[in-house]
Amino acid sequence: MSFKDSLNELYNAMFRSSYSPITGGILLALLVILLEMWYRPWGIVGGLRNWGEWVLYGIGFLEEAPQHPLWFSSSVLDLGLLLGAFLSATLAQEFGIRIPPKLEIIKGIVAGILMGIGSALAQGCNVGGFYMAIANLSASGIAMMLGLMVGVFIGVKYLLWEIEHFSSQGGIEISTKKINPLLGLIALFILFYGIYAYFTSDNENGVKLGGAFLLTAGIGFIMHRSRLCMVNAFREPFLSGEATMAKGVALSLFLTTLGVLFIKMAGIQEANVYVTPTFIWGSLIGGIIFGAAMVVAGGCGSGSLWRVGEGQVKLMIVVVFFSLTNAILRYYLDNVWEIWDKGILGKAVYLPDIFGYGGAFIILAIVILLWYLFVDWNEKTEKFVIGL
Amino acid sequence: MVDLSSIKADEVLDCKGLSCPMPMLKTKKALQKLQSGQILEVWSTDPGSKNDIPNMCKKEGHEFLGMIDEPGYTRYFVKKK
Repeated sequence: MSFKDSLNELYNAMFRSSYSPITGGILLALLVILLEMWYRPWGIVGGLRNWGEWVLYGIGFLEEAPQHPLWFSSSVLDLGLLLGAFLSATLAQEFGIRIPPKLEIIKGIVAGILMGIGSALAQGCNVGGFYMAIANLSASGIAMMLGLMVGVFIGVKYLLWEIEHFSSQGGIEISTKKINPLLGLIALFILFYGIYAYFTSDNENGVKLGGAFLLTAGIGFIMHRSRLCMVNAFREPFLSGEATMAKGVALSLFLTTLGVLFIKMAGIQEANVYVTPTFIWGSLIGGIIFGAAMVVAGGCGSGSLWRVGEGQVKLMIVVVFFSLTNAILRYYLDNVWEIWDKGILGKAVYLPDIFGYGGAFIILAIVILLWYLFVDWNEKTEKFVIGL
Repeated sequence: MVDLSSIKADEVLDCKGLSCPMPMLKTKKALQKLQSGQILEVWSTDPGSKNDIPNMCKKEGHEFLGMIDEPGYTRYFVKKK
């Protein structure tokens, strides 16, 4: 085998083949733990809200200008993820502008609005409200997990009803196959230039933002290569019984929780980071709404973003309405109704305050293990499958 | 090995522009309406279909005959069990 063949083989293995959900889940955990050590916990909604707030500021709804998207950390995390997914999609020749039929566009608008509402009530989406909340030892994460399961069940019921009653055809793809290598090179240039610009900037957080940009680009890349999808993880046990993705996400969540446990024990991050005052109602109700909507959207917080990165127009619509609704509702919840201080949607419960670090970890490990055992058992028995 | 380009499908399902999980669900639904041994051709633009459709066939017992990349979409061929 010539040197060129070896290079080709390496390129195909790294940039063209799809990674298994288990591989993707392990790599995701690694990057998420590094990110939390380097700077801050991973998140999605904060950045989307920042973009939504710029629109609201532009039309005069907000009086004060939001923070600059290139210097606001939550926004930088999302930009990194988008770029990483775009890079993965272009290098693998999988990028293309996919325009869905009309029904899908309407579903995208409605689901986006509901995802904005759910993530506002829970103060986070499937990432900040569930995955990272559990990893950061917050009771809210467990509440949102339960909410997501109930919501996803409702969403699956809707999809099955829709399949029986509607058929929508006539979507198109604008193929960019010929220019995908060029787009990939542009993405690589933006990535390296961005990191360079952050590291050499005068901003006091420049270096931290540069690292976060690189790490989240890595997250976007591996999520796209493994098509790591939390909607799939929650949905397929009900729809087909398939549990491969659920197992990958469960393993990933377990590893991240273990990593963040040590980060918090060592005092690298403050105890209350990502422990939101939403236990139990905000997370539970928000989780139900978000869970149902993400099934209809075909993407959760992270999944919608990486699908935007491969050119799915439906998910672009989802992200726009998701961002705007979240920004509007959070404005009212935070500033007008001041709901968090009143404690109507719950309180912040940091599990180590009650059970100690060891106890908190054991409880969360049991929750994750139960989920794993449930989807595994259901895969064999199909007891909860309500598919076609 | 079947020559895919010469296959005459009994039914063609257009899933262009749709994202996960719609192509897989619609494929499943369309297969229910076919007779055993008939062939369904699916057009999809979602990269996820490249894993989803063969996996679904394996799970449900249908025979996945293969796929052809065309400019702007991919054609999948499934023989109902």
